[in-house]
Amino acid sequence: MDQPEKNPTIDKVNRGLKRRYRAERRFRILGATAILTALCFLFLLFFSIVSSGYKAFEKTFIQIEVFFDPAEFTNENLAAANFPGLIKASMNSMFPEVTSRKDKKDLYYLISPGASFQLMKQVKNNPALIGQKELIWVAANDDVDMLLKGNIDRTRPESERRISDKQLGWLDTLAHDGKIKKTFNTAFFTSGDSREPELAGIWGATCGSFYTLLITLSLSFPIGVAAAVYLEEFAPKNRWTDIIEVNINNLAAVPSIVYGLLGLAVFINFFGMPRSTPLVGGLVLTLMTLPIIIIASRASLKSVPPSIREAALGIGASKMQMVAHHVLPLALPGMLTGTIIGMAHALGETAPLLMVGMVAFIVDIPHGFTDPATVLPVQIYLWADSPERAFVAKTSAAIMVLLAFLFLMNAAAVLLRKRFEIKW
Amino acid sequence: MKKSILLASALFAGMFAGSSAQAAGRDYISIVGSSTVYPFSTVVAEQFGKTTNFKTPKIESTGTGGGFKLFCGGVGVEYPDISNASRAIKKSEFDTCQANGVKDIVEVKIGYDGIVFANSKKSAPLKLTRKDIFLALAKNVPDPKGGDKLVPNPYKTWKDIDPALPNEKIEVLGPPPTSGTRDAFVELTMETGATTFPFIHDMEKKDKNLFKATTQTIREDGAYIEAGENDNLIVQKLEANPHAVGIFGFSFLDQNADMIQGSIIENESPTFDNIASGKYPVSRPLFFYVKKAHVDVIPGIKEYLGEFTSEKAWGSEGYLADKGMIPMDKKERDLFAKQAKELKTLTMK
Amino acid sequence: MSGKEEILSEVTTKALHKERETVGSPFVENPRMTCREVNVYYGDKKAINNVNIDIARNEVIAMIGPSGCGKSTFLRCLNRMNDTIEGCRVTGDLRLDGMDIHDKNVDVVPLRARVGMVFQKPNPFPKSIFDNVAYGPKIHGLAQNKAELDEIVERSLKKAGLWDEVKDRLTQPGTGLSGGQQQRLCIARAIAVSPEVILMDEPCSALDPIATARIEELIAELRQHYSIVIVTHSMQQAARVSQRTAYFHLGDLIEVGMTDRVFTNPRHQLTEDYITGRFG
Ligand SMILES: Nc1ncnc2c1ncn2[C@@H]1O[C@H](COP(=O)(O)OP(=O)(O)OP(=O)(O)O)[C@@H](O)[C@H]1O
Ligand SMILES: [Mg+2]
Repeated sequence: MDQPEKNPTIDKVNRGLKRRYRAERRFRILGATAILTALCFLFLLFFSIVSSGYKAFEKTFIQIEVFFDPAEFTNENLAAANFPGLIKASMNSMFPEVTSRKDKKDLYYLISPGASFQLMKQVKNNPALIGQKELIWVAANDDVDMLLKGNIDRTRPESERRISDKQLGWLDTLAHDGKIKKTFNTAFFTSGDSREPELAGIWGATCGSFYTLLITLSLSFPIGVAAAVYLEEFAPKNRWTDIIEVNINNLAAVPSIVYGLLGLAVFINFFGMPRSTPLVGGLVLTLMTLPIIIIASRASLKSVPPSIREAALGIGASKMQMVAHHVLPLALPGMLTGTIIGMAHALGETAPLLMVGMVAFIVDIPHGFTDPATVLPVQIYLWADSPERAFVAKTSAAIMVLLAFLFLMNAAAVLLRKRFEIKW
Repeated sequence: MKKSILLASALFAGMFAGSSAQAAGRDYISIVGSSTVYPFSTVVAEQFGKTTNFKTPKIESTGTGGGFKLFCGGVGVEYPDISNASRAIKKSEFDTCQANGVKDIVEVKIGYDGIVFANSKKSAPLKLTRKDIFLALAKNVPDPKGGDKLVPNPYKTWKDIDPALPNEKIEVLGPPPTSGTRDAFVELTMETGATTFPFIHDMEKKDKNLFKATTQTIREDGAYIEAGENDNLIVQKLEANPHAVGIFGFSFLDQNADMIQGSIIENESPTFDNIASGKYPVSRPLFFYVKKAHVDVIPGIKEYLGEFTSEKAWGSEGYLADKGMIPMDKKERDLFAKQAKELKTLTMK
Repeated sequence: MSGKEEILSEVTTKALHKERETVGSPFVENPRMTCREVNVYYGDKKAINNVNIDIARNEVIAMIGPSGCGKSTFLRCLNRMNDTIEGCRVTGDLRLDGMDIHDKNVDVVPLRARVGMVFQKPNPFPKSIFDNVAYGPKIHGLAQNKAELDEIVERSLKKAGLWDEVKDRLTQPGTGLSGGQQQRLCIARAIAVSPEVILMDEPCSALDPIATARIEELIAELRQHYSIVIVTHSMQQAARVSQRTAYFHLGDLIEVGMTDRVFTNPRHQLTEDYITGRFG
């Protein structure tokens, strides 16, 4: 002020300015590099999953002409008919030159063992088929499927591939006659597990995940929110509540398998609940997600400004009214986000389910909370462990589906937050 | 608000009604046990579920020991009906069963599993003996300079063991101690390999514990790498590292014949026929055990046994053979099929 | 309040713990509220030291004093808002129309309906303007039906001088109003439950002179029906709106008296220092 033309402060400021901007630039570059690296890895992950999995969304079919021989359907029970025989007969009529026992076996091998079930279903739905000749597309065996997708190299010596030269010849004939096609693999989305890769699907596991998460959500959200509200708003602050708080924080970091052990001891051995069911799995995952939800809910309760509480109390609202009318609505978006993150966590969990028997081979689609069931990540784990090579693609495809679900859940979290967020 | 509370309580009521109904009876077979038998019993279960009106059995892969623990827990719907095993039931397990009221057990042998040593096709196949394998993998081996003395395993390359073997570092990927494959591998190769040394052979009578420690302890200096339970992973690692050797079940070799090759052991290569005929030395029997008390309580057990022991399943041309299980010979099959049909109770002294 | 009354109640109370005495006239006839030997502790720290004061009916009493002297703390004793503060302890005898309000068994919900509060920072609920005002009447069940509720809201907003500005946008969020409007909304919210006493903690500290003038007008009107305790840092404001003034210093009530008397003729040296700006 005294010397308007020369201000020593601004000189000092200017001198330091360059350094300050440099530091900022450095930090920005570091940050951008970190993001870029993370994106690269993410891309790599997606690329490896998608590139090995996309083929599982296609499935190979072979067209055969089936004669539903009335002689086979003398029994009352349609299911007892010799469907594999029907298929063999139609293969024989397509390749009459194949006569030796070994060759015939190799020929029948081209068709999936699931084809006979397909015929059974068709006859059951439409008994009028009996006595008819029908052109039917049936699933090809997984090795045929792999060959046609280029996963089996036909230039290799015969002993090194699971499709012999003769089988190659038959397939080429079929392809030439237009009797081989590849279509979208709907079975993958509509059927349960199977040991035949061409028949295996994720619907059973998806249903299992759904029932399990339904239990988890319907228990952990109310319990978690109630616990958080009680601890944050009502509980006296003393040594006991401190201990409880420390314990909850610890529980959030406990390896998830421990919850499985706990679930085994409590729900199955003590309460006698049925093993391998969404009921037990859901309860175990509830235990696992509760700490996450409680911590997230407490954090969002804490972030509700005290002025709102004062306003409500100052006007004569009871504590309960203050919480229910003012604090909860403001904390809800944060609670929902926490819950969905917890649910996403639960959706991807296998370890605790191992202990309660949900890591199991289950073919039938579960229809309730007490049907034996498995879940999506377990299905992935089981397929990854299967010897059949065709399961590699299935595994990646199932991972894609799981990722899609996770993505949807997280998108829902963002949407819900937007929807419920109260602007001021 | 009220509606949602109502809904939640209805849901709960439904759940518990459901669970108590379930406790009253289970309408599907519950199977536990060995992960080696798992791929075979699942195929049978699926076939059984699709061709009959019974529900598809539920199969958990818990490992042989874990399976017996559950199986022998007691009689009742909450306990499994069948336990798969990649070895025969032990006396101690049998006793636990008896103590918990699981008195009558039916043993069914179903076939064999070959344990193979394999490496990438990018290298030459190995020609090994069980003695070579013992020397390559045991923690302590007889002193190469001679004498009946054990020294910490000095062998670094295969060539050190036998000049005819390649000059490659010993690097074996195998299952962890929790796995049944590991037990079988130790028993079938390490032990037999070790007993080719007379002084170790004599040890069995003199000092059982020392014998066990000598023949069963695997070196921990990095030459043996525990690769986890997932055999597919081992196959992939072999593909990536042509110098390594992997240990796993025959079905994985069968499925990946384009990438890996089985090592020849005592002049026999691990082919389907060689294992079936018993020429290939490293194979083990597979079993399952049925709880007799459940047979008429849980629907479908008899029929499941029927399916499993039918020729179209476990026969030499059956679908289990397609999945890599090595069938028994016809005589043995007939014997066990008959025992399964009669539900012959297992006795143990 | 007449001069006679002041002389009548002019007594000197001796503080128990310190020699400092409250000078002036802390007591009145027929008081709305009485406070005797009130002490407030935050943990071990004493924030209010043996305060004795009455609050008369239909008066505006201003509380002044340097920052941190305990004005807000004392104000919060009057409707038990200190209960909500962790580690805060209040002792003494506080009465509203003769009823002990400090007793542990007293229900704070009806108490706070009778003693309303307006905070330093406007804190409307993140709800509509209507819901903000209607909230108190709703939870206390003051309206039998929607029409009555509408009536209460309109009356309260009118009293708070906000009606004309917001009558067309009652459904819009209260948080969308300007700072001064928000403060008047908070006042409307407080008076909607027809309290007997209104506590105002620096209600104008965030407002421009025009909004301040509005609120001061409002206070003058509200005095017809209510007793008002106002904490303020503006001596002019205290002089304009209040009938009596209480001067706090480091937790002690130093001087109480008729406002014009305190400002023109302070009896205590500390009071004089403060109002002449020599303090500190
Ligand atoms: N929650 C609290 N915990 C601990 N001490 C507190 C708390 N609130 C206030 N105090 C202390 O009590 C004393 C009185 O505080 P109070 O808020 O009543 O002052 P004030 O007179 O209202 O000041 P201002 O004019 O700045 O608002 C201060 O020393 C303050 O530090
Ligand atoms: Mg204050």
